[in-house]
Amino acid sequence: MRITREARQATRRGILDAARRLFAEQGFEPTTTRDLARTAGIAAGTLFNYFPTKEAIVTALASEALARGRSDFEGRRREQASLEEDLFAHVAAGLRRLRPLRKFLQPVLEAAFSPASAGADDAGAALRSEHLECVGRVLAAHGMDASSPLALQLYWTLYTGVLGFWVADRSPKQEDTLALLDQSIAMFAAWLRGSSSAVAGNGDHNTHPNP
Amino acid sequence: MPTVAQLLSAVPAEDDAPPATPADEKLRALFARLSLRPVPTGALGRFWRLTGLHAKIGLAYGMHWLRGWFQNAERQERHRLDTHLNAAYRLLETMGYLRGAVMKVGQTLANFPDIVPAEFVDTLERLHFDAPPMHYGLVRELLHDELGGDPEDVFDSFETEAFAAASLGQVHRARLKTGERVAVKVQYPGIARTIRADFRGLTALLTPLRLSREWESVKSRLDFIRRALEVETDYEQEARFQERARALFREDDGIVVPRVYSEFSTRRVLTMEYLEGSHVREFLAGQPPQAARNAYGEKLLRAWYRLFYAGRMNYIDIHPGNLVFMDDGRLGLLDFGCVIEHADEEWELMRIGDRPLTTGRRDERIAFVKQWLGLPPDAPEDESMRLLDEYAESTWRPRFAGGEFDFGDPQEFRRAFDLVLQMMRKRYTRGRPVDAYITRWDFAYRSMLYRLQARIDVRPIAEEEVKATGWDRSDYALSI
Repeated sequence: MRITREARQATRRGILDAARRLFAEQGFEPTTTRDLARTAGIAAGTLFNYFPTKEAIVTALASEALARGRSDFEGRRREQASLEEDLFAHVAAGLRRLRPLRKFLQPVLEAAFSPASAGADDAGAALRSEHLECVGRVLAAHGMDASSPLALQLYWTLYTGVLGFWVADRSPKQEDTLALLDQSIAMFAAWLRGSSSAVAGNGDHNTHPNP
Repeated sequence: MPTVAQLLSAVPAEDDAPPATPADEKLRALFARLSLRPVPTGALGRFWRLTGLHAKIGLAYGMHWLRGWFQNAERQERHRLDTHLNAAYRLLETMGYLRGAVMKVGQTLANFPDIVPAEFVDTLERLHFDAPPMHYGLVRELLHDELGGDPEDVFDSFETEAFAAASLGQVHRARLKTGERVAVKVQYPGIARTIRADFRGLTALLTPLRLSREWESVKSRLDFIRRALEVETDYEQEARFQERARALFREDDGIVVPRVYSEFSTRRVLTMEYLEGSHVREFLAGQPPQAARNAYGEKLLRAWYRLFYAGRMNYIDIHPGNLVFMDDGRLGLLDFGCVIEHADEEWELMRIGDRPLTTGRRDERIAFVKQWLGLPPDAPEDESMRLLDEYAESTWRPRFAGGEFDFGDPQEFRRAFDLVLQMMRKRYTRGRPVDAYITRWDFAYRSMLYRLQARIDVRPIAEEEVKATGWDRSDYALSI
């Protein structure tokens, strides 16, 4: 029997909705793929046609949340915003959407977000690339070199550091994460401007961040 | 004009200090390093760099204060204490924000024109208003977390740029959906908890001192400062003080404490009525007539008498940014984050002190100084007592002398300043934990009146306000 694209999407949606509910209710570890399949109304084996692991389900949930965060960010972006404000607001909007997933994000951080394992997982790679495309657009809007792999790698390292901190942040309303994010963005922006001025001052000199 | 280095070396100097110990050497080295290092946060880091000068002075006070605890130890204890002192300095070096709080002490210096170079005062004064803001992205997240919605949804309008720096944060103008103009004070994330944690660390580190003779004094001082910090880092507590203060003033006083909007306030966000007006610098730039200067000076005096006598509190944070010279002639008081509330024991001493304060008689003043210091009535009069008496005389004379007092008299002001410096050098400002704050408060209001060049008949104002205490003062008239 041939499954239509719509039916496939609906099944995928059903699994993700079941996962979001069960992970929130009973936690990530205790929830089995069997529980997920039962709640989604599919056979246990069918679930693996969509997601090879529970972690992959979380990655998909995170990816959706981040997409919504990007949309929030774009929707309320201010014309007068500084580079720092834009970068901060982009990450903060994503964190706000990720908040319902915070408790069970830890297991996928390494696979999906770690700078060291980027590319090892398709879903993780997609998530990273979508996020960085948005960062690239922000940089370009502020007249920065948006194609520098070095800059994007540095950004991603800081971002994943903030994310890792946020997942474990026990401060009230994760306020420490906001401070860390503010500092990290400020550091990145300062580095970026330093790099740009180094380029401007040195012509074709090999200090260019994007050789 | 003195250099910054000269100013710094003047502040913590000890006339009678023992020869430099290894700890002193380390202090100097540490101080040099600290002054070059930013506070480890984005916004505060920027603030720190801008306020380098400011911070150095504040730190000098902080060090002076810290070191003061160790000065009275016996010689044989010095070596052991040096170890703790070194440890305390090391801790101070690792602190995130408490250094920022210590730095605030330096703000008081912004009130001392003529004593320090004019450019220095200008720099300090601007810092009250020009500290770089948190960008709006961060403010929006904080407000969302605290008030449950984005500022543009919670308020009718919200200015994205801060218009003033505030204790541990910044202030934005906004308008409520019900139409009122408000000022929204937003605290930098995590700063309050970090300050409190820093302070707990400092307290724990000093615990080995509990066997020393200094411990009781250290402990009560620490407790006192901890309580003051608790208030300063908790906007809900500040809001309670502010509301209590607000209730003390009537419309015809011409003194305004802004209303707090508690439904838009939390521990980290304080929303209050916005007061339109200027600050002292703009007020003075308009070359106001003497009568206007006097009128504002009288209001300032009445405000602190009212807060003290009727409210049993001292409003410590009198600096240019916290006074609003409103267009209709009223005086606005902002920022109740640094308020000292007097406990019963202290209040009883204040009652006893009222008599010499009112009569101006030296024997009564000396008797009170002894009581304040916890000395028996027959304790011999020593240098510290004489200096304290001279200071008390200088501070209280505007009141007991009667008639118009010229607060703009540079000689009078310089004398008061010199006395405070002498007392600090000789560590006589440490009789009771509250002393450091009282000196700061006393000096802050005096220097503000000096800037205004106000001429005021203090006694009638004080006599009217003291009635709120209900103290029996029936036999005072005989002594005047």
